[in-house]
Amino acid sequence: MRRRTYLSLVGSAAAAGTAGCLGVLGGDDTPTVLPEPDHEYDASALPYPAWGERVPDATVPAALGDATVSTRETETPALYTFFYSHCQTVCPVLVSTLRNIQTHAANNGYADDIALRPVTFDPERDTADRLASYGERMHVDTDADNWTFLRPAGVDRAKAVVTDDFGVTFKRTHPEDMAQYMFSHAALTVLVNADGYVERTYRSKSPDEQQLIADLETVRQA
Amino acid sequence: MNRRRVLAALAGSGLTGASVWVARNGVPSPGDEDAASGGLPRTVETLDAPGSTAGTAQVPSPDAPTVVDLFATWCARCDEQLASMRAVRGDYPDVSFVSVTNERVGDTLTRGDLADWWTANGGEWTLGVDPGSGVLAAFGANALPFVAITDADGEIVATHSGVASAATLRERLDTVT
Repeated sequence: MRRRTYLSLVGSAAAAGTAGCLGVLGGDDTPTVLPEPDHEYDASALPYPAWGERVPDATVPAALGDATVSTRETETPALYTFFYSHCQTVCPVLVSTLRNIQTHAANNGYADDIALRPVTFDPERDTADRLASYGERMHVDTDADNWTFLRPAGVDRAKAVVTDDFGVTFKRTHPEDMAQYMFSHAALTVLVNADGYVERTYRSKSPDEQQLIADLETVRQA
Repeated sequence: MNRRRVLAALAGSGLTGASVWVARNGVPSPGDEDAASGGLPRTVETLDAPGSTAGTAQVPSPDAPTVVDLFATWCARCDEQLASMRAVRGDYPDVSFVSVTNERVGDTLTRGDLADWWTANGGEWTLGVDPGSGVLAAFGANALPFVAITDADGEIVATHSGVASAATLRERLDTVT
């Protein structure tokens, strides 16, 4: 059996099992669509939001335009990742994964059913102009309603949202061969359902795009 | 793919780095066709561009040592990788060269845009697209550019994250030709 087929079958079963229970806590019901991932640790002990937990409550301005986004006021499933645009290795892979999902959504008619929200932890350098040109270079449709670069207002606020709320650590570094500062940082992509509960946290530096698309489809169609 | 491996794949989101690829793809072994289907070779769409024709191609190429270059148009140093491949290609006439991007083609990046980038950066061999990043996953790449060299049996003999210089490519290619 091919992997995607199996994954979608598992997804369907899980969707049927929780139909009508979304957002209801208590008993054995869960606020999630996807089944609990198979891991051996307690989700509540993790530093980042994990399966079944509410998305951290944060309100962050969009870098482009005047909107603000409140993480718990969501009408569609959302994907978050954390980046800075001067990053040359991990971040562009994380952002391009969301970009590839944006294109998959546009090509397959579900562009209005998702929200893609990369959050910069370098608001000093990641200005609106900088992120507009970064989006262009990454072939993102930044005009689309489903894409929002989020930019915490200042260094302290970036730490509060990205590290304190989402558990993504980052630390400035000063590589000898570079004139500018860089960051060492964790890699995380978070899938949140339309009720604001975490379905998956992907800790890979190169998230499996097919798995994200399949998980997103299950969550979207619940 | 057997059930245990699928369950491992489902759990894969909890793993990081190399282990996630192993969990997803299994470890291919001779005669295990199911495992191979998640790994290599993979068939990709190829584009009409210099040195490349529209159609499909297997990656790595069947029955030939292959230099597999994984790139993206946003990647600042991927053009350098093309340059070092171009520098050695003439000396290895029996080696197949193929470059593959995992960028998904759509309104913001068309096949024509990719061909333009290819032309501007001097590409002159097979150009493939890998929507879904299956080729990246099969090779275990987690940064770009990424180069793998396979022998005529399709076995990976070397991988390189970041730009592989012409000297590095020659050193590796001399072991398979």
